[in-house]
Amino acid sequence: MTTVSIARPLFGRRRTRNPMVLGLVRHVLLIAVLIVMLYPVVWMVAASFRPSAEVMNSLGLFSKNYTLDNYKQGWSAGQLNFSRYFLNSIVITTLSIAGNLFSCSLTAYAFARLEFPFKRVLFGLLLATMLLPYHVTLVPQYILFNELAWMNTYLPLVVPKWLGVEAFFIFLMVQFIRTLPRELDDAARIDGCGHWRTFIRIIMPLALPALGTTALFTFINSWNDFLGPLLYLNRPELWTVSLGLNSFLDVTGESAFGSLFAMSTLALAPIVGFFLVSQKLLIEGVATTGLK
Amino acid sequence: MKSTRTGREGLTAYVFLSPWLIGVLLLTIGPMLYSAYLAFTSYDLLSAPKWIGLDNFRRMFTADPRYFSSVKVTLVYVAVSVPLLLIVSMVLALLLNKGIKFLSGYRALFYLPSLMGASVAIAVLWRQIFGSTGLVNQVLSLFGIQHGSWVGSPGTALWTIVTLNLWAFGATMIIFLAGLRQVPAELHEAAAVDGAGPIRRFFSVTLPLMTPLIFFNLLLDTIHAFQAFTGAFVVSRGTGGPTDSTLFYTLYLYQQGFAELRMGYASAMAWALVIVLAAFTGFLFLTARRWVYYGDER
Amino acid sequence: MKRLGTAALALLMVAGCSGTSVGDPGGDSAAGGQDGKGEVKGGLQLTFWGGANRAAKTNAVADLFVKAHPGVTVDRQNADFGNYFNKLNIQASSKTLPCVMQLQGRQLNDYTKRKVLLPLDPMIESGAIKVDDIPKEVVDTGRGPDGKLYFLPYGAAYDAVGVNATLAEQAGVGLPPEGYDWKQYTDWMTRAQAKLPAGTFAAGARGSTPNYFIAYNLANGKQLFTDDGKLGFTKETLIEYWEMWEKLRKAGVTMSADSQADEPQSAEQGFIAQGRILTDSIPGNALTPASATLATKPGGQKLTTLPMPSGPEGSGNAMFTSGFAIPTNCDNVPTAAAFIDFFTNDLEAGKVFKSDNGAATNTKVLDAQLKDPALAPLKKHELELYAQIVAKKPPTILYPPGYQATFESAYSRAYEEVAFGKKTVQQAADAFFAEADAGLGG
Repeated sequence: MTTVSIARPLFGRRRTRNPMVLGLVRHVLLIAVLIVMLYPVVWMVAASFRPSAEVMNSLGLFSKNYTLDNYKQGWSAGQLNFSRYFLNSIVITTLSIAGNLFSCSLTAYAFARLEFPFKRVLFGLLLATMLLPYHVTLVPQYILFNELAWMNTYLPLVVPKWLGVEAFFIFLMVQFIRTLPRELDDAARIDGCGHWRTFIRIIMPLALPALGTTALFTFINSWNDFLGPLLYLNRPELWTVSLGLNSFLDVTGESAFGSLFAMSTLALAPIVGFFLVSQKLLIEGVATTGLK
Repeated sequence: MKSTRTGREGLTAYVFLSPWLIGVLLLTIGPMLYSAYLAFTSYDLLSAPKWIGLDNFRRMFTADPRYFSSVKVTLVYVAVSVPLLLIVSMVLALLLNKGIKFLSGYRALFYLPSLMGASVAIAVLWRQIFGSTGLVNQVLSLFGIQHGSWVGSPGTALWTIVTLNLWAFGATMIIFLAGLRQVPAELHEAAAVDGAGPIRRFFSVTLPLMTPLIFFNLLLDTIHAFQAFTGAFVVSRGTGGPTDSTLFYTLYLYQQGFAELRMGYASAMAWALVIVLAAFTGFLFLTARRWVYYGDER
Repeated sequence: MKRLGTAALALLMVAGCSGTSVGDPGGDSAAGGQDGKGEVKGGLQLTFWGGANRAAKTNAVADLFVKAHPGVTVDRQNADFGNYFNKLNIQASSKTLPCVMQLQGRQLNDYTKRKVLLPLDPMIESGAIKVDDIPKEVVDTGRGPDGKLYFLPYGAAYDAVGVNATLAEQAGVGLPPEGYDWKQYTDWMTRAQAKLPAGTFAAGARGSTPNYFIAYNLANGKQLFTDDGKLGFTKETLIEYWEMWEKLRKAGVTMSADSQADEPQSAEQGFIAQGRILTDSIPGNALTPASATLATKPGGQKLTTLPMPSGPEGSGNAMFTSGFAIPTNCDNVPTAAAFIDFFTNDLEAGKVFKSDNGAATNTKVLDAQLKDPALAPLKKHELELYAQIVAKKPPTILYPPGYQATFESAYSRAYEEVAFGKKTVQQAADAFFAEADAGLGG
């Protein structure tokens, strides 16, 4: 009996099928799917560089006239002020990242490394909050922040991050820290380090991948956040990029697609940028969440 | 000695946990209890909550046809997009699993949309490309097919949002891909030696081993799907239209609670959802024993 | 840490007692009392609805005000009409309403019901706001059910029937005759449709537009609302009306339902401005912006406006006014009052704003515009039509709370279900009546 090589492509039927052809078919399939998926975005970016008359009626990516007009016009069209919006988004996102890193790492260390009464109950609570839909806290939180007079400030969007409200990242870090050998902790103990020192000096540097993943995902979630700013940031000078984009067509009139696409491209650019720089980290992070 | 150390360790632990504990109490448990109370009141934030007993629920279940629209829309959305998401992610993960060239490139490119999927920018783009003169119709007209606006017609508006969710399958795919990598090659070999073709191998070897991840993704993707908001809001311009065909549960809750200041009603809606989701989660966990295969069981 | 303590306390407060609100300046705690007298200084928040054109003019007036009062800043927020009131409601709930907020009679009672507006009568008495040159009936349109004045109308608008005169001529039908009624209107549309170029329609799928329906009711002598805020017309009237539109739609005289759903919201961008339909219900003041867009079509097309179709009981037109109100949470009442007074009464402001939101209510401002030789012919036509309508003493409708959220939204949705074939006219009318009765008036 002939031994079958495990390198057989998955969907080949007869053993005599040429693996090369099948590999090619696979690539073609994958590329086709990719093109269909990514074309709209690429088209939008290309359209943002075309003059406004050509924006919507051309299917292709290329044009004879390239222009930056859409960008210039969209940036401060009408009462819109994207400098402000980008600034707001950056501030909120940075504070959110710092908050998540702070609160999630502390909590994760406790769950991963320390023993304490009710640990199982609290861990169960943590998991339960991961599965809780946000609707049930949406209205009361709004009322709470209203009572605190935090409306029209960044606080409702940022402070919860400092209080470990994103259980997913806590979970991520717990799983990660658990993989670090305990001998390191013990060695540190022998050297006289208390838990705080162990946390700062030993665990955190080693947990850099998990911290990085947390920071990146917090960035993306915070940057894309829409419902939060919609509820809490009513004054246009506090708007984030999401709100600015949403009101774009209302404020500038529906023929301003060129500038809309230009601003959308700019809004997506940081995400794509960070992604290109750190995609390995992101993907590894996502991959490991499912595995442990 | 040991008891004081554990005692002290316990104390230290609680210090480490304090931000999270405060957060859980003030931002999760507290609000949940308060909204449970509000669900029985009529409250517009400007005057005190007025106790009305079961009236909110009565209205929800008997006197509010829009509520049922929102439930229907959301259920259809979840029931269609989550399985589709899982299937598409699995298929593509399988395609990518065989050590082909440019694997990391493909993986990265498939993943990129899921980072952008929740953004307003993409939702805005989606509204344009599915509009009456948008990209999709332009492509269709190349094949001689004329069609009206996809987002303007009640029969198709919801599907545009389903495609949006599907477009962001990358994250789920990566989780599956990582799981596939962990299927031991020996098992495939052994099955192949026994004469199993690739499809048979998939169903007998791969799929059972992947059930923990399928479970994980099913759970998280479902909860995520129930919370859809941005896409629906931007595509329907906040209306949930046309004719409430995109009136997602979250969107309706937002409209009732914040745009019309019926916070009691919105709280009732929120709790109805939580109870349903809890039941679903519980059901999933219970049945998991039947179909989720953990490698360490015999 | 302190903030966390406050948060805990706040949560206990909120959970324990009955919604005490923070920072409620019920009386004279703010700078300057509620009579609006005081120093005009500091910052002001202004919110209004409208597209790019309206925003430009409103901003220009705000700039004039700032120039006249150095040291004052005016922050502006605008949104399109559809979203404007949602945002305003959210702001109302958090007591962060902008000091100068634009309102119409249609939504007024949503806010008076919740008592978030300051009565303006004391400010009129003290002279901070002047109404000497505004006709009393017009001022009264800003009153709430308790008789107090809650917004000062600055523009009196009406809904008109817009007709693309160029297309009408090309189709050989001309304009509807003077004093025309609904039967003549629909017959005229049907005749025109036969001769219109492909792709253009006589009308939009307008069964879903409340304004047309209001006109229909008035022309037939029906009341829109009873005194206690319930529906004042019968289901039969509604069914009759919708069947009229359905007949037109099925005959291809109106645009299809799903194309209709794509229509942009603003006056400059609507279908009639794009030259895709022959006639539509448009606010009288949309004549100028819509014409501007229409004129850019090849060959240049012209738009004109007519009164609504009349009926056995007279004209179908109603007046509705827009104006500014001051919320109770405003902390700069004197400046807000001064701004409202300026916007409504100042001659320079009137020149800049050009009655963009309906004829200026201040008769001197309006006169100055009418006498202005540089007055654009379209604007002149709009203002003349206004005078014509006012002469017939149109009623002002008292809208109950929930009008916008319940009536308008339920009405459009109900018709849309018919237009998309999901309900029969009878079913939709039943559903609409059920929803409206449940939601209106309280």
